[in-house]
Amino acid sequence: MPAPVTATRTPRWVEELHSILGQDAVIASPEELLVYECDAYTLEKFLPAIVVLPQTTEQVVAIVKCCATHQIPFIPRGAGTSLSGAVLAVGGGVMIALTRMNKILSVDIRNRRALIEAGCVNAWITNAVKAHGLFYAPDPSSQPACTIGGNVATNSGGPHTLKYGVTTNHVLGFEMVLPDGEVVWLGTTPDGGEDVDGYDLRGAVIGSEGMFGIVTRVLVRLIRAPQAYKTMLGVFESVDDASQTVSDIIATGIVPGALEMMDQLITQAVEAAYHFGFPLDAGAVLIVELDGLAAGLERQAERVIEICKKNRAREVRLAKTDDERALLWKCRKRAFGAIGRLSPNFLTQDGVVPRSKLPEIMQFIRATSQKYGLRIPNVFHAGDGNIHPLVLYDERDPDQIRRAVAAGNDILEKCIEMGGSVTGEHGIGVEKIDFMEKQFTKDDLDAMRALRRVFDPESRCNPHKMFPGSKRCSDFTPRKQIAA
Amino acid sequence: MILAPTTVTELVEALAGAHARGEKVTAVQLRSLNRVLEHTPEDMTVTVEAGITLAVLQGLLARQGQWLPIDPPAAERATIEEILATDASGPRRFGYGTIRENLIGIRVALADGRVIKAGGKVVKNVAGFDLCKLFVGSRGGLGVIVEATFKLRPLPEAEQFVQARCESVEKAGQMVEALLGSDLVPVVLDLHNVSTFNGRSATNYFVVLGCAGSREEVDWQLAKARMLGLMEPSNLEHEAAFWSEATPDKPRRLSVLPSKITSALGKLGEVPFVARAGNGVIYYRGGPEPPQPDLPAALTQRVKDAYDPKHILPELPLR
Repeated sequence: MPAPVTATRTPRWVEELHSILGQDAVIASPEELLVYECDAYTLEKFLPAIVVLPQTTEQVVAIVKCCATHQIPFIPRGAGTSLSGAVLAVGGGVMIALTRMNKILSVDIRNRRALIEAGCVNAWITNAVKAHGLFYAPDPSSQPACTIGGNVATNSGGPHTLKYGVTTNHVLGFEMVLPDGEVVWLGTTPDGGEDVDGYDLRGAVIGSEGMFGIVTRVLVRLIRAPQAYKTMLGVFESVDDASQTVSDIIATGIVPGALEMMDQLITQAVEAAYHFGFPLDAGAVLIVELDGLAAGLERQAERVIEICKKNRAREVRLAKTDDERALLWKCRKRAFGAIGRLSPNFLTQDGVVPRSKLPEIMQFIRATSQKYGLRIPNVFHAGDGNIHPLVLYDERDPDQIRRAVAAGNDILEKCIEMGGSVTGEHGIGVEKIDFMEKQFTKDDLDAMRALRRVFDPESRCNPHKMFPGSKRCSDFTPRKQIAA
Repeated sequence: MILAPTTVTELVEALAGAHARGEKVTAVQLRSLNRVLEHTPEDMTVTVEAGITLAVLQGLLARQGQWLPIDPPAAERATIEEILATDASGPRRFGYGTIRENLIGIRVALADGRVIKAGGKVVKNVAGFDLCKLFVGSRGGLGVIVEATFKLRPLPEAEQFVQARCESVEKAGQMVEALLGSDLVPVVLDLHNVSTFNGRSATNYFVVLGCAGSREEVDWQLAKARMLGLMEPSNLEHEAAFWSEATPDKPRRLSVLPSKITSALGKLGEVPFVARAGNGVIYYRGGPEPPQPDLPAALTQRVKDAYDPKHILPELPLR
């Protein structure tokens, strides 16, 4: 595989790309390439040699074949919202950005399916079908920006996964360009049946972090929007009380649509920014959203409020209108935006523990915060044990950077020790390569490598990701963080 | 060669030996590996040895008010390994999805005797590739599943069935459309002719609706269903009857776009059938062969070669 490619004179492959795409779909100037030097994991940056913006599957095929002929690596990119560095052009190469392939091609209301180009923004899908009482369930917080193709690569989640599942449960099939330029359709076809014979290659590709090929069109499942919601917000003395509430709700046989928790530090920042009327000494805030048939919600909501009060909730707010519901959610959705008040920089972690061990991991995070002298606020999907500790630091102090990374690593190691995972949503990317050998054995990793070789035998499709032993082109030198 | 190990170690040694000799393993019988390894009700997860039968597992889970939300035929006999290998499902797939949606971790003995794991014990996990999905429906051709971890659901407080009797497939189809367009959220929506099929033809077609949830949710839905014409109390006996029939005609499966189910049934002619009307899946006996699937042949072959290079494990059946 060639060394990082820089265009000092016009190589053959650059000319070929220009002739495939035309002038305005090729980005080669250094200033313009800077936009693509990183994704939302801003700690590392790598410049691609060139960025191309195809508009059709045929163009994607031509680009991929050009890369194959000239043995050049390529990196599929959606909106670049990856939080793990999955879209970094480690080793340079051709970045293939699908943002111009963003149409909703067809919607089949009767069969509850929609065919979408991979560069289409996640939120646009629900917007297109909600008038028919349908929605696309996986809703990561980045959904106003992230693309369905990126969701497929990451197997994205969001706050509603406890009840509704993740991307793989809502993607029926897709068209994909393999690294040799062949086009395949995996899974259910737009006019085909749900049950497909053969190996579930569709399922194997989802969550493969863009390492198997480029997905160009996606057939998604749409589901019925719930008839009604009951959204509650409980203010608690402590994270422990709120965590116990989560356990009690689930033990009672209730499956909420969403269960989101924010701890004291985040709540303080959110209150300072948006004035929701939260007490600044509240230990934690818990959003519980029930959804389903109206007939069932009354009793369930009463039960939830009872459980909150049993766990010493100071107050429980219950939204009575759509606007009130939107307001309750605003404080969760704006949480990341409020962090700027607390710190110039932060590391977003993404560990998972068994739900019943939430109080234990939260205690460990508090201890870690003290050990390294850094604040670590928490906002997370309490229902499925997926934590998002935010390690605050100031990049102007190299020692803080070192401590922040160490604190994040300690937390992830603890997640593994507790029987969890180092990533619930964001993927391994570049960020967590070193953890793969802690969570998996050599045989486990070899079985994954074997699958990768099936799709990408030359390791040119999004290389240097996920697997230990990946080349890291530069030492870790963090740069200025892009504001969230 | 048929393997019937009593421990994973025995299985691994047998596989390694067969692999070294290039000897074909036609079947693996895992019924001796049948323990529940871990059930954490507060996490709603369970880990089992793959030889446990579904009925035994459900019985244990029910004591904690939980279940694995799948209902394939012959639960008393079917092992978790068999259900995973064949991606078997039942009527409640309309409400709860198939076993693929509930599998969160797996341990597999590969053809050469190595044991690998994929996924884990937690319900949210995207570390590494999703090999769990690859093994579901693989017919044991990529490795032998020895252990599986599932996410569970609470048992619903209530579940009730009602049906309507229709004189034609078309009328039954129209009723299905009306139900899908309503506010109901059924967990079962079956269309069948099993009760009245007399060996040559059926006189009636049945739409069976199943609702589950809290008592209030079920009552509200049944009241609505009554207004749509579903008034007879019902059950899932048609399902048991279809699968237990002693006939030389093996069951066949046709999977179509759900809106095309009525026309697909028309083309089958006079055959006994059970259809998952909401999913567009028809099981029938006799009649024409289902169409050959259009599989990505090269990729399929490369996956097989990657995990079973000597081809000692079963091949994928051609339907």
